[in-house]
Amino acid sequence: MFSWKKLGIIFGPESSHRRDWFNEFAQAPSALLFDDYVRVYFSCRPQPDKEGKYVSYSAWVDLDRSDLTRVVKVAEKPILPLGGLGEFDEFGIYPVSVIRDESTILAYYGGWTRCESVPFNVAIGSAVSRDEGCSFQKLGNGPILSYSTDEPFILSGPKIRKFEDTWYLFYIAGKKWKIVDGHPEPVYRIRLATSDDGITWAKYNRDLIPCKVEEDEAQASPDVFFAEGKYHMFFCYRYSKYYRGSEYGYRIGYASSLNLFDWVRDDSKAGITVSEFGWDSEMISYPHLFAVDGVIYMAYLGNDVGRQGFGLAILEGKLE
Amino acid sequence: MEWIKHGQIFNPLDHQLPNGAKYYAQSPQTLVFKDFIRIYFSTRVVDDKGKYLSNIVFVDMDNNLSKILRVSDKAVITLGDLGCFDEHGIFPMNILRVKDSVYGFTCGWSRRSSVSVETGIGVAVSHDDGLSFQRIGAGPVLTASLKEPCLVGDGFVKLIDNTFHMWYIFGTGWKRYSPQADPDRIYKIGHATSEDGLIWIKSESRQIIPDRLGPDECQALPSVIEIGAKYHMFFCYREPYNFRTEVGRGYRIGHAWSNDLEHWIRNDDDPHLERSDHGWDSEMQCYPHVFRHQSKIYLLYNGNEFGRYGFGLAELQLI
Repeated sequence: MFSWKKLGIIFGPESSHRRDWFNEFAQAPSALLFDDYVRVYFSCRPQPDKEGKYVSYSAWVDLDRSDLTRVVKVAEKPILPLGGLGEFDEFGIYPVSVIRDESTILAYYGGWTRCESVPFNVAIGSAVSRDEGCSFQKLGNGPILSYSTDEPFILSGPKIRKFEDTWYLFYIAGKKWKIVDGHPEPVYRIRLATSDDGITWAKYNRDLIPCKVEEDEAQASPDVFFAEGKYHMFFCYRYSKYYRGSEYGYRIGYASSLNLFDWVRDDSKAGITVSEFGWDSEMISYPHLFAVDGVIYMAYLGNDVGRQGFGLAILEGKLE
Repeated sequence: MEWIKHGQIFNPLDHQLPNGAKYYAQSPQTLVFKDFIRIYFSTRVVDDKGKYLSNIVFVDMDNNLSKILRVSDKAVITLGDLGCFDEHGIFPMNILRVKDSVYGFTCGWSRRSSVSVETGIGVAVSHDDGLSFQRIGAGPVLTASLKEPCLVGDGFVKLIDNTFHMWYIFGTGWKRYSPQADPDRIYKIGHATSEDGLIWIKSESRQIIPDRLGPDECQALPSVIEIGAKYHMFFCYREPYNFRTEVGRGYRIGHAWSNDLEHWIRNDDDPHLERSDHGWDSEMQCYPHVFRHQSKIYLLYNGNEFGRYGFGLAELQLI
């Protein structure tokens, strides 16, 4: 089992950080290293509209590279505007995953639309930054990865990686909408697509990770990190019903692979779970691993999937 | 070339349609048998929200398209599951024989909240000569993409020299033409190719038919046939708003031709399908379907109110 030392909550919607578009939540952290700071992209929400519905924006916070618990700067505006009328990302840009590509930075994000019979649908968009990740421009006003025969809805949670010369996009795809107490709840699984250029993608069309807690387990945040000669995936999973509480809510799982396609799940190795008290006592989710100056960190969310923000943990030992 | 109009050949009010559907027989599309012609079309029923659900049924007609032999007693394909692209309707469905099977290229509809609808193109297969179809998966084979942001639909497929060609429409966006108006959609005709009919390569956002009514012209339902050395496309086009209520802004039939399937020359006047002075196609003509049968070239199409009163027939005279 891996050993993680929790540093506690690092960043959230405290009053000093709030903006019009950043009133609640700091979800789905994704880190990018700079010389003096670590820029952590996150997703957040302004106040809900009159019907109580939220939109999501994505932005960033810079943490001091020599002390990641210290916030240096928060973005003045979201990295992307919401999509236009009828476009796939009209109601939310969440979550986002970023990667350097020579002189540019690419972002892959979930774009949210609203539906009649189910509350929402999601497809994956892409955008590019030419100002060191401060702001981004969409590659188009449609998605770069969307619904297909075996992935009928909810393509979300992208995690972009490049190993050798191949691009890998880990993401989730919806399996079914399950009616629970009269309301549709989404069930989704971890999937993979590959690309030579980051733009044209070939879907692998298989679930990467078998279910553990139930047949309709939902899995999210497939975060892949290479260390000690193999690929490590930390992700989160939950039950299909009543997952907004502690008992059936998100926990962090783990799988490893030698080739990025075949994965062996072994949650007993994850080494991180809910705390007894405090901000991550009910659920723990959306893991993201990154290394800074020889130290491996995990950023993650706690109760209510990031309502209070994200925290950090430090790996003690190696990912073996 | 000239169209000889044979008038309305199917009026839904004259028949018992499946699911209690009454009005509408939209977007007729054929599957030709030796002794009869099966014509698929979309019906409409109103659901508990007061909105339409479209289902695909068929009518079998004799070789002269003058006699009705049979009307199907059920829809040939179920609607999609909760949250799927074809949950709220299939309209239209294009039919293609592929070896021993019959493929149906569906245009699936699902409702949105800020705009009325989104569409995608799915594939369903029949192994009983088109009486029933099973979708190959819950999702679409063609949908919105980077430069085609919405409303991919209306696929029409032909197998030419071992390549599947699909002409379809893609949305360029939604627009509100006045502050109080509901959003209106704009779409154009595009082209995709495939080796197997399932995995498609779109010529991403390339509009293949030039506009006649300006940049916001809406183009729909392409249908292609080879005549002599040329390919001819029939489609319908309209103004982007007030097209339901204002005669003259609604759908009419357009035409283009090509030598190479790449470049299309638009010529709506040769042949030109005239609106009738009175009757079922006096206000609108839409959803054309062109096909060849016993050396004749026919056009099926809908008339007023998007096919509320069924479809009619025209025959091409080569002059």
